[in-house]
Amino acid sequence: MSATAEGASRVLVVEDDPHLAAGVMENLRAEGYEVAAAGDGEQALEWLRANRCALVVLDVMLPGVDGLAVCRTMRDEGNSTPVLFLTARGDPADRVRGLEAGGDDYLSKPFHLQEFLLRVRAILRRWDWYRSASATAATAVLRFGGNEVDFRAFRARAWNGEAQELTEKEAMILKVLAEHAGEIVSREDLLERVWGYDVFPSTRTVDNFILRLRKRFERDPANPRHFLTVWGVGYRFLAEGEP
Amino acid sequence: MKATRVFQLTALVLLVVSAVQVSWWLFDQRTYTIERVNAARAAYAAQAAAAQALLDNGVSAAHVHELLPQIAVDGGRASVAPALEETLRAERHQRYNRYAWEGAFFLLALGVCMFVIARALRAEALVVEQQENFLALVSHQFKTPLASLQLSLETMALRTLAPEQSRTLIERMLADLARMEAMVTQILESARLERGRVDFKSEPVELHGAVARVVAALDERARSQRVAIASEVAPGLYALTDPLALDVIVRNVLENALAAVAPVGGGHIAVSACARNGEVELAVKDSGVGFNPADGARLFEKFTRLHPGGGSGPYGTGLGLYIVQRLMQLAQGRVTAESEGIGQGARFVLIWPAAPVAQS
Repeated sequence: MSATAEGASRVLVVEDDPHLAAGVMENLRAEGYEVAAAGDGEQALEWLRANRCALVVLDVMLPGVDGLAVCRTMRDEGNSTPVLFLTARGDPADRVRGLEAGGDDYLSKPFHLQEFLLRVRAILRRWDWYRSASATAATAVLRFGGNEVDFRAFRARAWNGEAQELTEKEAMILKVLAEHAGEIVSREDLLERVWGYDVFPSTRTVDNFILRLRKRFERDPANPRHFLTVWGVGYRFLAEGEP
Repeated sequence: MKATRVFQLTALVLLVVSAVQVSWWLFDQRTYTIERVNAARAAYAAQAAAAQALLDNGVSAAHVHELLPQIAVDGGRASVAPALEETLRAERHQRYNRYAWEGAFFLLALGVCMFVIARALRAEALVVEQQENFLALVSHQFKTPLASLQLSLETMALRTLAPEQSRTLIERMLADLARMEAMVTQILESARLERGRVDFKSEPVELHGAVARVVAALDERARSQRVAIASEVAPGLYALTDPLALDVIVRNVLENALAAVAPVGGGHIAVSACARNGEVELAVKDSGVGFNPADGARLFEKFTRLHPGGGSGPYGTGLGLYIVQRLMQLAQGRVTAESEGIGQGARFVLIWPAAPVAQS
């Protein structure tokens, strides 16, 4: 359920502080985005159920339902709209918690306006790439080793017939690897393409996602034939499988 | 702080070692007593056997008694005198008694010391934890207005703005600064209250004047937020409290009411007072957002945010009602909050002891 043309340049700002919300919205508007606002988590979820947008700027500390819960609920409801967290807590543990809840990026308060706008653009660019790379009938579906992945629906059917629900990050990683099938893709490249720059503290995160993909799609995850590790460099995806 | 902690921990360890030693000493003394009594008994038994041997060899009973006075001879049979057995038993009993009393006393004294130190350590750990929480919460509270301020300034630096847009941003920045200043004031107030460093002088203070002053100060803000404040406090009611604290209390309760009424698009706040049963009661009733009745007590905790606009609201510090409660406690008074539920308004009641010179 990615954003369609209807909300392609619309950003939902969920922030309970009226000054901060107004400031963020004015700047997004000045950059040419259409803006919607919600003052608390429940309002945000209600709005998201009825409307579409390209990005949600989400404060973590909201009265009532907090930002992390909003993001988790969105993901549970199948809404894969990217989320940029804004929070007064900026330590690495909070950052990881935000990203685990399904967030795409994390900015701690107080933040620099230009960095904020840059990150908004970066998230939207990544999603634009993903959407355009999955736009045609040929690129929307990937078939390999008896598996079938639908990039637009974030769904897959594994070689054993099992239905799989992909997270947006898993789908993005798979997309990057499939675009470069047969080539080596470094962990850093994967981080850059899927998350942006300094979001995660380590490239180990990528390894964890690869493990998850192997578990979903490899007949024997311990001896992968499609998602191959190139020691010290990164990963190589083979659609036909290693002979 | 750290040195004290090391000292306390060392003392605690020494006390535990001492307690173990005292227990060991008690056990050792008991064993020693049993051994000594048994040895004495064996020695007397040997004497009795020797006396019997002498008797059997024809030594006269009188001579045997002379040689071994502890042995009783009765009809050619030698045995330990019953009185002696009694003496041994009595001595053992006496020693046991002494160990029980002395040991119990030492163990009790050590136990009391350990308890006192452990309690001090726990209290200290609690204070450290509270301070850390406080700092985390305070820095969090500051980051939002700081972020807003930075955003406004960077917007002005980045963009060319129309004069009215600039004015809006400047007003926003001034409001953010005012908010931070109010926070600093309240944080300092609450920190002083916490450390008990408050010069609190109870004296009869007239409620009417205090309420009128605060209402006048808040009047302009209330009007801009379409909130009508009606004060029906009759002159002549005296509460026993600190005059400066009374101002802070009334101001915080009224500001809280204002913050609760503003988000619903305006409304009214009614202040009333009465004297009953040797107490003076001030009630502040608002038509604001209200709160869940179960959350009544939580309102007075630091940094409580129950819902948008209520309690600390986006412009509050989350400390106002906490300060109110602490100051009321210092005045031997109390404060309660009640609401029928969210959207139903709220009523805060402040109760002080009435000043004995009231009506004078």
